[in-house]
Amino acid sequence: MSSLAIVFRKEIREILRDRRTLIAIGLAVLATPTVLFVISQVSTRTATQTYTAGYSGDIPAGLDVLFGATGLRLERVDDPAAAAKRQVDIGLVFTPAGIDEYYDPSRQSAQIADIRVQTILAKYDAAKIAASLQQKGVDPSVLNPLPVSVHPLSSPVKAAGNSFLSFFLPYILITMSLTGGLSAALDTSAGERERRTLESLLLTPAPRGQVLIGKLLAVSLLSLVAAIAAIGSMLIALSQISFGLSGGEDARVSLTPLAAAVMVWLAVLLAASFSSLTIALGTLARNFRQGQAYATPLYFITIFPASIVLFIPDFNPSLAYYLIPILNAVLVLRDAIMHNGVAWGPLIVTSASLLLTGGLCFYAALRLFTREALLVRS
Amino acid sequence: MTEVAVKVDRLEKDLGSNKVLRGISFEAHSGEIFGLLGPNGAGKTTTLRVICTLLSPDAGSVGVLGFDTQVAPQEVRRRVGVVTAEFGVYPRLSARENIAYFAELSGVLDGEVGRKVDAVIDRLDMGSFAKLRAETLSSGQKQKVAIARAIVHDPPVLMFDEPTSNLDVLASREIRQFMVESKGRGKCVIFSTHVLHDAERLCDRVTIIHQGRVVASGSTAEVRGGFQDLEDSFLSLVEAAK
Repeated sequence: MSSLAIVFRKEIREILRDRRTLIAIGLAVLATPTVLFVISQVSTRTATQTYTAGYSGDIPAGLDVLFGATGLRLERVDDPAAAAKRQVDIGLVFTPAGIDEYYDPSRQSAQIADIRVQTILAKYDAAKIAASLQQKGVDPSVLNPLPVSVHPLSSPVKAAGNSFLSFFLPYILITMSLTGGLSAALDTSAGERERRTLESLLLTPAPRGQVLIGKLLAVSLLSLVAAIAAIGSMLIALSQISFGLSGGEDARVSLTPLAAAVMVWLAVLLAASFSSLTIALGTLARNFRQGQAYATPLYFITIFPASIVLFIPDFNPSLAYYLIPILNAVLVLRDAIMHNGVAWGPLIVTSASLLLTGGLCFYAALRLFTREALLVRS
Repeated sequence: MTEVAVKVDRLEKDLGSNKVLRGISFEAHSGEIFGLLGPNGAGKTTTLRVICTLLSPDAGSVGVLGFDTQVAPQEVRRRVGVVTAEFGVYPRLSARENIAYFAELSGVLDGEVGRKVDAVIDRLDMGSFAKLRAETLSSGQKQKVAIARAIVHDPPVLMFDEPTSNLDVLASREIRQFMVESKGRGKCVIFSTHVLHDAERLCDRVTIIHQGRVVASGSTAEVRGGFQDLEDSFLSLVEAAK
């Protein structure tokens, strides 16, 4: 068996016996579905919840029926303006001249009640006008001289789901690729120095490059498994829960096979790059704790590119942007999810950029791994 | 005369701005215990690290059984086993798995690993804790794991760098017995220590180094000279070297 395989097998064995690492990955895998389930429950409850409108005066005929059908319960109060502050979600005063509406914009329930009231009144007004025109023998369509028929080329609900995925999935992929193998990477580098096993390891005739590659492959595999497990659990959760986004169409989210293939390829590249980087940082550290301190800035560095899709959804960069590690992976994955297609140019540039980054980090790790000054320091 | 196993010739080594070795020369033979003596900071550990290829010499040369450490470091590593006072082990592997890992990395053939590991476990009387995880072992048991992994590939040269400094009396005695036993098997045993009482009892020949230079070399009796013991001789040599 080659030295590479011997080291890989030993590292995997140690990882599988490290409760700390396994629990962290398990929690991450469970956390995403849990958060999504809570979001789903809240959004569904918000969509179906009945809100209370406190009113005074006489309700126009037929309007009360519309209120009931739209999830607004009418409750007579003495002072709707005062009641709208706490007692009810919105206050309405019906007068012969019209309606006075009172609501507190700082309350989310009042905002939703306001939207519902506006929707009801728009429909009521349109129905009353149409009825009056018909009574006078006028076609109500004169009020709408340029009717528009909307024909979405894809499901708007699906598009909303993809938009959600295009932010959330790269974020999970990048954070799990980094954090999934971080503990193992530091353990196999800084930990080796801290435990005083590094000298013994370097005293064996095993080629040092092979020893380091064995460690790198083990950490990369863990990162990859962690990232795919977290995304898999997220997708399973998304396929089972609905967010109450639409009025009838099923608002479940899924990943196309093409986007899934792109995601796995990017996960492999990211896992290898992050593993090389964290092993290099760990090799530089005297112990596990110092390695963690070195790796902490990586969290912030990786969060920014992952967030760019959230803050600039229509960010359409030139090919040069795909040279920037992490950002390129986010953009390629976003495009694969949103457009269900792969632009080969950006994908090739992204792959080359990540491979080069990983290669440079590996070279740095190898140099540090056998550097005399670090050996003597240990 | 027995075979020269380790030949150190005018070895020089700087660590940062510190000139640690200033032209060290000595030879250690198969079938003897060779003492590398000196106070803390004399350069003993650096010398051993150069011999086992962890560090490269700035000047001079080191040969192990005919292989130059600069030219054929992997051949040298195949022929050397090192035991230090810092017996780090992999805590989540059992004692047996720790030893097997180093056996495999040291080039023991796949079919031979189990047999060689069992043999060394028997030889060091480790059967009672071989299957326990290393994190649960005592210091003495961990030191035995460290010895076992250093000898599992049956190297002809064994180097002990202050091996008893972290051990109790019983464990220290076992280490000393092991060195004597290894000498009997024809191994070249290099024993680096500042405990001169141990060196006097065990070593056939010694070299005393001080501030990176050899101040005395020869058989233990020769170096002791007219003094009552090696410690008096050592103090006299170190004083003269100042």
